Amino acid sequence: MAAVRTNGERTINRLAIVSVLIITMIFLAPIYWIASTAFKPRNLATTIPPTIVFTPEISPFVKLFTKRSQLRAPPSQEEYAAAPWWERLVFDGGEKVVRSGRGEVQLSGYPSRFMNSLIVAITSTVLAVGMGTFTAYGFSRFRVKGEQDLLFFILSTRMLPPVVVAIPMFLMYRAVGLNDTHLGLIILYTAFNLSFSVWLMKGFIDEIPKEYEEAALVDGYTRMQAFFKIVLPEAATGIAATAVFCFITAWNEYAFALIMTNRRAQTAPPFIPSQVGSGLPDWTVIASGTLLFLLPVAIFTFLLRNHLLRGMSFGAIRK
Amino acid sequence: MAQIDIQNVQKFFGHLQVLKNLNLTIADGEFVVMLGQSGGGKTTALRAIAGLESVTSGKILINGTEVQHRKASDRDIAFVFQSFSLYPHMTVRENIAFPLRAVRMNATDRDKAVKEVAEILQIAEHLDRKPSALSGGDMQRVAIARALVRRPQALLMDEPLGVLDAKLREQMRAEIKRLHIARGSTSVYVTHDQIEAMSLADRIVILHDGVLQQVGAPDEVYLHPTNLFVAKFVGSPVMNVNGVRIEGQRVRLNGADASFSFPDEALASVRSTQADLALGARPEAVLLEHQQTEGFVEVVTTNIEPLGSHDIVDVRLGDAVLRARTPSGFVSGEGQRVWARLDPAQAHFFDTASGLNLRGAN
Repeated sequence: MAAVRTNGERTINRLAIVSVLIITMIFLAPIYWIASTAFKPRNLATTIPPTIVFTPEISPFVKLFTKRSQLRAPPSQEEYAAAPWWERLVFDGGEKVVRSGRGEVQLSGYPSRFMNSLIVAITSTVLAVGMGTFTAYGFSRFRVKGEQDLLFFILSTRMLPPVVVAIPMFLMYRAVGLNDTHLGLIILYTAFNLSFSVWLMKGFIDEIPKEYEEAALVDGYTRMQAFFKIVLPEAATGIAATAVFCFITAWNEYAFALIMTNRRAQTAPPFIPSQVGSGLPDWTVIASGTLLFLLPVAIFTFLLRNHLLRGMSFGAIRK
Repeated sequence: MAQIDIQNVQKFFGHLQVLKNLNLTIADGEFVVMLGQSGGGKTTALRAIAGLESVTSGKILINGTEVQHRKASDRDIAFVFQSFSLYPHMTVRENIAFPLRAVRMNATDRDKAVKEVAEILQIAEHLDRKPSALSGGDMQRVAIARALVRRPQALLMDEPLGVLDAKLREQMRAEIKRLHIARGSTSVYVTHDQIEAMSLADRIVILHDGVLQQVGAPDEVYLHPTNLFVAKFVGSPVMNVNGVRIEGQRVRLNGADASFSFPDEALASVRSTQADLALGARPEAVLLEHQQTEGFVEVVTTNIEPLGSHDIVDVRLGDAVLRARTPSGFVSGEGQRVWARLDPAQAHFFDTASGLNLRGAN
């Protein structure tokens, strides 16, 4: 019999779709707000009611990447004509781009903070996932004395709210000269993510039948070779999922970054709101900085989506 | 190819002893089947030979070299797992070539070896597919190909047909036998299926509770079981085992209202014993007649299993029950009166306490 849908079922189906759409729109509203503000002229950013229809501008991004100062007097005709297109956008906003003595454009703090975020987040993710995978493999495959206690101990490092230890950590870091360094933040985020990574990877590795490695062992491979040739490819899904979680945590971390860094190693999260305070807040610049900051996580997750969605094992083991 | 010696091997898991003083020699080119119930220690013994399990004490020798302390990768042995254990992220070709990569064989030789073994196992057309795209039988062929490609010292198989359906199992059984005859590889095969054991083995090794019960050719194990466990474990349907009393020239089953006459020489070995006796007779040793016949006693049929080629008929005498194998249709229904006799040549007397066979048949 063909599946026939009654009118009632159809209505319910449509209602469900409509309600899902409404809920999605509610959740996406803040993202839309940020994205639209990032392209608004400055004077429209704070209007009440909010402007929905406007001509998008690129000027907030120009301002985001350049160091600017207030114009005392409007630029002269020649000055305006000689300036490149993006500099004119800054002039139009009543500001000018700061140049060095030799005429080079001075960059704002944003690009370096963004780079810091990338360096710290990527390195700490690689370390946390790498060490976590090795540790999880050990726990999963070997009889470890006090395994349950050790695993609990590893997890217990996550039980304290991190901010509680912020001040002692800051004092320790200052004492050993790790404050405001990339290494300092990397160590911090790696330690923070490691327990999570161990637990998640143990679950994934437990799922991989140990016969795979045993087959490799009798076929003449060492355990290390079996780990790299068999376990790692099989655990790719788990590694991808764990890496996404660790990366998001490290990328978005705010509190420690605010306390531990201020200039050289400062990451984007504490930097972006700090710009609110310089002069009158330019919300369009803050919005453009935030929008760019959202991209890496979105791209990273998008690239790994196949691994995240793929089922664990394609059943070449019969049970 | 190689000879494998297992000498006084013991294995403990914590306080649990799973192998008790195991001694066994597997000759070069021999096909040995380890048979037993699950938990009997047969898989542990196989894994110990492979090096996947360490032994607590004792020696394992391959071609006279002690290997019990060597890693699995240094023993030059191949292992086929019940779960096949094909690597899902590799194609069939890569799976089969995997052991050759370990010994860094060059690509041309590797390709040749893979093709050759794939031809033998009739999986050449599947070489570029992923294992998940194969049927169960083909997966097992790939697993065996991967084991054979390296030409190992010995081939160990742990219930390799356990997850296949009955028909495929029969077919693969024949293939494994054909392959063994063609390649002559020393093979150790673990199973709990006695039909597999009987049909494949040069010698069957029966393990129970970590203790070796009997080693022998299939017919030897079937015809001359050394103890009650082997007698009951080998053979289907199970051997009739009844408590008995010897009354002069006659043997009375406990609870039976009649007794069977046995020739003097059949009783010679048990006449003097004080032990409680059990009599074991396979269904084909229980002979039935329609008419009253000299030496036969009257029994009543209670249950009939028609199996096509033959029937299994349950007969009752008093409270004792015997299962007999008859030509199909020999007995038409339950409640029939027929006459039965036990073939003394195929009867075994066991000491109930120790389980030992007191007199081998014949």
